[in-house]
Amino acid sequence: MHELSLAMDVCRITEDHVGRTSLGLVREIGVEVGDRSGVEFGTFEFCLESLLSAPPFVNARPQIERTPGDELRVTYVEVDDGDSSD
Amino acid sequence: MAIRRIEVREKLMAKNDEIAADVRRRLEASGVPCLNLVSSPGSGKTALLERTLQQLGDELNIAVVTGDVQTENDAERLAVHTDRLVQAVVTNGACHMDARQILVALEQISLEDTDLLIIENVGNLVCPASWDLGETAKIVIFSVTEGEDKPLKYPRMFERSTWAVLSKTDLLPHLPFDPDKAVAFAREVNPELEFFFTSALTGDGMDEWCEFLRQRARAGSGTAV
Repeated sequence: MHELSLAMDVCRITEDHVGRTSLGLVREIGVEVGDRSGVEFGTFEFCLESLLSAPPFVNARPQIERTPGDELRVTYVEVDDGDSSD
Repeated sequence: MAIRRIEVREKLMAKNDEIAADVRRRLEASGVPCLNLVSSPGSGKTALLERTLQQLGDELNIAVVTGDVQTENDAERLAVHTDRLVQAVVTNGACHMDARQILVALEQISLEDTDLLIIENVGNLVCPASWDLGETAKIVIFSVTEGEDKPLKYPRMFERSTWAVLSKTDLLPHLPFDPDKAVAFAREVNPELEFFFTSALTGDGMDEWCEFLRQRARAGSGTAV
């Protein structure tokens, strides 16, 4: 439950930055998880993968980095803006 | 395909932390200390609070907010022992309380008429450690029926707590529980942790606990952590 709440917060932060209508264009979300944050890494990763594989996301994946300390944060969001030759 | 990277660097639970800071500001402005009682289910938080309200209810204005996953049973038990409103927060399945719930609860509390605010958190030794409620300090409670190694199994909660209560000490003669070992394990993860030893059933240790609460009420907010 705790990990799911955090995963949902990752989705909220992503929406704040790209807008709801662009969530389907998100390809990767970078997340830092501190090794003393109290988060169970595997459960958190599974929750995130589950959320990011369902609408309004289309094909997004989490890129989770373990870090020292207790920080939990979204570091970046990658968005596919389409064919650059257009 | 053109991939654009947006730098974010935003903390998770930042919204909760913002609200917790607001709660803390309000409490500090009124000089009301707030103690967040955390434990596993069944450790005796409600029994400790019942006895506390019996002993101190006429002397201190104690406001209580209880968190429960599904019922208001704890609030109903406590309401018997105080004239003040005991607020029940039902989390509807959530394993922890969050700062927003405390902010809402504060709307019903006259802080000018309050000496001490006590939060009885949801019984869970994992998730509540991660949620700042704006409290002055966390107090972890564990009972002699739980095993001495609880602090080693749930170190984050013991690290985050300033005080600990070992409860149900009346059962010690019947159990192979070693209080010295429990305290030693707890201080392995948090050397600063101070202990109280209580039995809400017999009243043993309650005088020391109540004197501690008097001191906290006199000290006001912002001095415990």
